[in-house]
Amino acid sequence: MNPLLQLKNVRKDIGKKTIIHDLSLEVFPGEVFGFLGPNGAGKTTTIRMIVGLMGITSGDVLINGISIQKDFEKAIQHVGAIVENPEMYKFLTGYQNLLHYARMTKGVTKERIDEVVKLVGLEKRIHDKVKTYSLGMRQRLGLAQALLHRPSLLILDEPTNGLDPAGIREIRDYLRKLAKEEGLGIIVSSHLLSEMEMMCDRFAIIQHGRLVGIESVQELSKQAQKVLLTVKPVEQALTVIKNIYPHMNITSAKQGIEVSIDYEEIPSLNAALVSENIKVYGIQVLTKSLEERFLEMTGGNEIA
Amino acid sequence: MPSILSLIQNENMKIYRRIGTWFMIALLALSTLAGALITKATHKEPKNWKAEVASEIKEMEAQLSEEKVPKMYKNHLEQQLKINEYRLEHNIKPVASNTFWGYLVSSADIIALITLFTIIVAAGSVANEFSWGTIKLLLIRSASRTKILLSKYIAALLFALCMLLLLFVFSSVVGAIVFGIENIREPYLAYQNGTVVEKSMLLHVMQVYALNCVDLVMMTTFAFMISAVFRNHSLAVGLATFALFAGPQITTLLAMKFDWAKYLLFANTDLTQYIDGTPLVEGMTMPFSMMMLLIYFVIFNALTWFIFRKRDIAA
Repeated sequence: MNPLLQLKNVRKDIGKKTIIHDLSLEVFPGEVFGFLGPNGAGKTTTIRMIVGLMGITSGDVLINGISIQKDFEKAIQHVGAIVENPEMYKFLTGYQNLLHYARMTKGVTKERIDEVVKLVGLEKRIHDKVKTYSLGMRQRLGLAQALLHRPSLLILDEPTNGLDPAGIREIRDYLRKLAKEEGLGIIVSSHLLSEMEMMCDRFAIIQHGRLVGIESVQELSKQAQKVLLTVKPVEQALTVIKNIYPHMNITSAKQGIEVSIDYEEIPSLNAALVSENIKVYGIQVLTKSLEERFLEMTGGNEIA
Repeated sequence: MPSILSLIQNENMKIYRRIGTWFMIALLALSTLAGALITKATHKEPKNWKAEVASEIKEMEAQLSEEKVPKMYKNHLEQQLKINEYRLEHNIKPVASNTFWGYLVSSADIIALITLFTIIVAAGSVANEFSWGTIKLLLIRSASRTKILLSKYIAALLFALCMLLLLFVFSSVVGAIVFGIENIREPYLAYQNGTVVEKSMLLHVMQVYALNCVDLVMMTTFAFMISAVFRNHSLAVGLATFALFAGPQITTLLAMKFDWAKYLLFANTDLTQYIDGTPLVEGMTMPFSMMMLLIYFVIFNALTWFIFRKRDIAA
């Protein structure tokens, strides 16, 4: 599958300072890609370079294989975005705002505007001035303008900011649906990690303008992790495990024994225990949360 | 890729959907009315216009007979003299400010107000997008920055044109009501190739309007540039307004001492100096001023375009 978005060694210098160091990543159709990083890590700068608001010092950004630097107008027509807050013309109505953006792309009909308005649930207030909107309603209008021209790549900076829990859930389900059913590639940046975990298929974590790592949700649950064993008798089981993994940290908790092993090693450990006539009542994989992983990779939330 | 027309349509929507714009239009209408009423209240009708014109002629003849009259001024005096003689001969009253046409000609002074309004609109069309944060959503569409900038510039000039038309309409209506239209057939006397000719008054008014628009276009372009460079509305409006009102005076002062003052923008914006007056610095001609204006115009626009196209949007 061809990537929708490719960042090739993208670098940004401002003055003598390098803000983004040779960042490379790819986003594919049908996936929701999370963009994580502490404050000041360079998330927004990277997004600004992807949509052509900021120049790229070296490297390139390709959207559907078209360089944003060489053919901006062609590359950007596949992109819908909200960069930071969805700032709209407050003296215009929601509908006039959408009309404004509709005129900037060929082929967006009045019917399409109505369709998008319905989609984001703004029918009742669309003819009111934007200055009367709540933050959540502006967020919905922001999403509407990003979807107007049926983009294949959607870039959303903090899309759930200002929404209530029901609204967050609604947007999350809708984004997942867009990715799965219509094959959009969606980039989401947020610092609400639990939110991201529920929404995204893969994550890039950046810090100090460098890519620290890219992980998928499945990988996250397959990595070296803790497994909680409920066994009887506990003492005998501990000796067995120590024999197989002499260097392992083992803690015996109230609920059972916690061991740190690879996902793939769980069956063999189970077999070893069973062959020693130990009763295994349960094996529970304690998935490392994205938050733990994030803090582990970035070394705490320091602002560079 | 959107057509430039739909981009201009967008800019128009952003200009005319704001209350401030309608306030400006109301203010324009009010000033035409106020101007007419003040003129009506203060104008003193000369008892005998023929005697006045005759005494003017005598004065001019006296001036012409002096030795050291500059050549340009001398030409101007001679033309006025011929026109005045023609008036007496053909019994054509000079255009008084309390007549329909006289008022319409003087309404051109209100163009300074339009210039101020257009500066506000032009500076706002770029700077406001930055301060509102809407520039981000505006520049991530398949329209090049050049096209967007051009649409904003054209929309600002269209606003100026619209205001000029309104000024003309307002003044005509107000002038007709306040001063009446008895003198509407009055001709405009011009001096052409050594003879005095009768011309259409309407054409003359249009010419006066057009000459007054030089400032308008140059200052709008200047404000547009400042706004694109500094992204600050107040700064752009302030600088352009200051230049508009103080520029000509500073230039006049400089022109008394230095010859190079003729290369300054404001030495060239008043093109009426070649039609019924004397040039600021001797040796300046209409083509010279046109050339200088063109050079400034190109420099302002090129700078605006260059900076707007290259700028990182971090607002």
